[in-house]
Amino acid sequence: MSAAPPLANASTPRPTPLRAVAGPASAPPRSERVTRIREDLLAAPYRLCTQKAERITEWFRANGVRPPLADAIARVHWSLARRAIARNLGSGAPQSRLAIAANATLQRLYLWCEAARRREPPIAEHAHALAYLLERAPLRIHEHELLVGNASSQRIGAPIHPDYGGLLLLPELATLARRPVNPLEVDDAQRRTLEREIFPYWFSRSVLARAPLLARDPQLANTLVAGRRYVLTQFAGISHVTPDYASVVREGFEGILARVRAARGEAAGRDAAAFYDAAEIAARAAIAFGERWRRHCLDEAAREPRSARAAELHAMAEAFAQVPARPARSFREALQSIVTAHVLVHQESFQHGVSFGRLDQLLDPYYQRDRAAGILSREEAVELLACFLAKAAELLPLFNAMATEYFSGLSSASGITLGGTGPDGRDATNDTSFLFLDAYDQLRLRQPNLHLRVHPASDPRLLARAHEVVKAGGGMPAFFNDEAIAPALERAGVAPADARDYAIVGCVEWGVPRKSFPAAGAAFVSLPAALDAALRRAPAPATIGDVADAFVAELERTVAEAAHGNDAIERAHALHRPTPLLSLLVEGCVESGVEVNAGGARYGTTGMQGVGLADVADSLAALEQVVFEERRLSYAALLRALDDDFAGDPALAQWLAQRVAKYGCDRGRSERWARFAADRWCEIVSRHRNPRGGRYLPGFWTMTTHVGFGRRLGALPSGRRRGEPLADGISPANGADRDGPTASMLAAVRATSDGVANGLCLNEKIDPWMVQGDGGTELLVALTRGYFAAGGMQVQYNVVDPAVLLDAKAHPERHRDLVVRISGYSAYFCDLTPEMQDDIIARTLHGAAAPPPGCQAGAP
Amino acid sequence: MTRPHEAVVFDVQRFSLHDGPGIRTVVFFKGCGLACVWCQNPEALRAAPELAYSADRCLAGCARCVEVCPEQALADHRAQRVDWARCTACGRCVEVCPSAALRTIGRTVGVEALLAEILRDAPFYAQSGGGVTFSGGEPVLHAAFLAGLLPRLARAGVHVALETSGHYPFALLEPLLPWIDLVLYDVKAIDPARHRALTGHDNAAVHANLRRLLATGTPVQVRMPVIPEHNADSEQIDATAAFLRGLGVATLALLPYNHLWEAKLPTLGGGRRPLGLRPPDEAFYAGVQQRFARAGIAAHW
Repeated sequence: MSAAPPLANASTPRPTPLRAVAGPASAPPRSERVTRIREDLLAAPYRLCTQKAERITEWFRANGVRPPLADAIARVHWSLARRAIARNLGSGAPQSRLAIAANATLQRLYLWCEAARRREPPIAEHAHALAYLLERAPLRIHEHELLVGNASSQRIGAPIHPDYGGLLLLPELATLARRPVNPLEVDDAQRRTLEREIFPYWFSRSVLARAPLLARDPQLANTLVAGRRYVLTQFAGISHVTPDYASVVREGFEGILARVRAARGEAAGRDAAAFYDAAEIAARAAIAFGERWRRHCLDEAAREPRSARAAELHAMAEAFAQVPARPARSFREALQSIVTAHVLVHQESFQHGVSFGRLDQLLDPYYQRDRAAGILSREEAVELLACFLAKAAELLPLFNAMATEYFSGLSSASGITLGGTGPDGRDATNDTSFLFLDAYDQLRLRQPNLHLRVHPASDPRLLARAHEVVKAGGGMPAFFNDEAIAPALERAGVAPADARDYAIVGCVEWGVPRKSFPAAGAAFVSLPAALDAALRRAPAPATIGDVADAFVAELERTVAEAAHGNDAIERAHALHRPTPLLSLLVEGCVESGVEVNAGGARYGTTGMQGVGLADVADSLAALEQVVFEERRLSYAALLRALDDDFAGDPALAQWLAQRVAKYGCDRGRSERWARFAADRWCEIVSRHRNPRGGRYLPGFWTMTTHVGFGRRLGALPSGRRRGEPLADGISPANGADRDGPTASMLAAVRATSDGVANGLCLNEKIDPWMVQGDGGTELLVALTRGYFAAGGMQVQYNVVDPAVLLDAKAHPERHRDLVVRISGYSAYFCDLTPEMQDDIIARTLHGAAAPPPGCQAGAP
Repeated sequence: MTRPHEAVVFDVQRFSLHDGPGIRTVVFFKGCGLACVWCQNPEALRAAPELAYSADRCLAGCARCVEVCPEQALADHRAQRVDWARCTACGRCVEVCPSAALRTIGRTVGVEALLAEILRDAPFYAQSGGGVTFSGGEPVLHAAFLAGLLPRLARAGVHVALETSGHYPFALLEPLLPWIDLVLYDVKAIDPARHRALTGHDNAAVHANLRRLLATGTPVQVRMPVIPEHNADSEQIDATAAFLRGLGVATLALLPYNHLWEAKLPTLGGGRRPLGLRPPDEAFYAGVQQRFARAGIAAHW
């Protein structure tokens, strides 16, 4: 026999390819303009942006409620508490009960003083502050670009939001530019302003500061920085929403303003009146912002010596004469309208997960009309889309050191969803779907997130093109199965027509675009930490069932605690940080007169993610097999071994890791435990309701929380050592997927059900050598199709040669544009923490030169 | 000895993309009638299960295996653990090895169990036009077992490919053919004496069986492992081409040589030696391809 199967699966290094791996054959040539924009963005330093922070602080200091007594006490309070707050936020060192109690008492005092003097409700103040900011935000036009709009004052900027969680940066201000991972340039003036004006004003007024006042457990402030059992994110902002950009494009803000006035006529009550007042201020500010841009483009055109560029600037000014105030009339105006709306939303909300929705569906009519009118070529459309995509790569989320560990890769997670079905249930692929793939193929930056909806009647050419794009690396687009996802949404209470119209919010979260405020990234829970606690609470279980029961009980406690903590944060948003502009762009708010944080959206759910499902499955399987069936050692002996990280018995760690079939090998036992844990997780999470009256929805995606949680967790019965990363998403533990992608895909199918309403993430690594050429593309399409036919929900591919990753770790300067898939998003490899880089490398190497013992253990 | 409804299989490899069309599962049987000097799967040559030992996985200071071995075939020495002459592959050491440094190569499977294993990836076969490929070793030596399995696969609509050396009585292969969609058939050396030197047997049966196989109308892809310095000089290429043309075969799949099998040798008994060949470059294969083209055979790789 001449075929060269390995001695055992994946045990042999792959042969050197005889021919170079070819890139996608039909990739369109990159235009000069796109090349230049791409190079500029790759070369641009990452900088802190304080534009919003400075302007809104100015406004609030001049116009906000500032009772003199409270002001005087707050000054002293800040100078006394500053150091303790910095220590708590910086190192996770818990604040003392006394400090927490004193803080809370003072905060209540301020609130009481403010209430007595308040003339306007918070929503009016925030609307005014936004308008003030929009009148002053610096407008930047970068060379080569055809669409303009800068969400930050920097080319690539990380805006700080002191009204949310900006204070988290306090301990790192001095070191931000020098920190080893994701340094951010910050100048002395910015630092001074933050220290002297911004933080002292907001430290007691931000969502971060006020959420603990609303919590059942006053220790919430400490919980937020512990990061061992769960992490809550929304003190940094809720975001994670697909705003109704379609209405901005189709009606313009004037149309939206008209709807606000019409709806107001029917409304009664003080809260609704305040909401409509604020909504009107926000809409008018948005219209005025467009006018500012029009004048700015004209000014720049007048100064521009090159006539060709001046003409481009005039064309921009012309677009702003129409949008975003009025309905777009062309493809270009539609895109400029969306860019402007996206910039507007980010002057109010944190840059995380604000997504674009099904843009091929929204834009194709404009493309077709312009083509028919002869005013736009296909190449021009692709170039415009590349300019559009580049805009999403200009924003970075601002993370402190701890958040960088949990959310490595600097993804602002702005999703664009393509494909899927139309309202008639037929395939919705159109020309613009292809244009987006072509534009991405030219640009290949880390953002935005491209998502492709797949169903049995998807246009095969679109699938082929998408997989061809994936094959060249970068992990985009990711693939989503309509047939599995729409039912999951319906089960979570979404109307069938809305479920069929789903789009991806941020990374992988399936949600209803335009009509929902899904708070999809609210919380991440470490499932193995719950198991670890359960093992210690169940001193002498007689059966594996007892262990499983203890795990479920612990999970219930953890989820309840996380949900209560998150509830407090969401209440703080509603009470203290309303977002009038975003409320214009989420259906239901204008109609009902209720602000979006207060529950105005048609769908108002909250997402909670379970992290480390594979680790729990493998651990329960190992306990069942080794302790309760084979009786190789006692339960107590196993616990002792875990406590000393197998130091006294390395052979035991090997046994557990190698001799128990792991989740992802599709052998049955671990998949059965994965299903058990996944089903319990979905039931427990779904039981909770958020303050907006919506359900908590369960998901399985991790960003890089699996690394952060792993670092804070001891050894597990699966044989995983102390501190090692947990498994990401719904993927097998690193090294456990030695039977290849079909086995791990079917394991994921067996583990999950339509209870997974907030998205899941399955990472598959593919050796580029295996899928060369058109034949390789067909095989990759078939892999996705086969997985979806079996019931899979989502998959994303990292088609990357491990040798390239190793070289990039050693020589980052040579691989500045190397994009890899992380969780539900892609990132520049060089932007990742070293731990996450190692995790990706390990994920890609999959046990080279090692036999697959876990998978080999006995017949299936 | 295995019974007719059982066979010894040493690997079931899913997501195989280069052993027939589409996404396939390849089943590797143990045992082969030939013993090619370049054999890519030396662990497949013997019919019975055997022990393999990977020193790099062995835990320092463990030595549990030494205590349980009834044949005293294991030494307390990580680098030279196994006395292959004594080992009977009883598997006791494998049971106690925590790190799976010791493994048994080959497990006995029944028709039902193997069928279930193959059918796991059915959704992927359906989407890709793939299926199962029987390889080895020599799968046809397990004809009785396959006679029970193949009709079940046909009923399940699974595309079946067979990778075979052709070295066996044709009567073994013939009854299986109605259930086989594609035969991947190797020709290894055109000259009988050289064939004997390289594989241990002459090629009379291989050539006769290919002729008979082609006469049945079963789709056949003839393949040739290209082993530099052994079977691919101009003279042999021309002779091979003439032989194939005589059979009415117009295309040939060239299988490029790789030497990764040599890394398996230290883990196995059997005393096989590395061939010491470096894999040739692209130009070498292009040359072989051109020579075949001149001789009227469209070879591809």
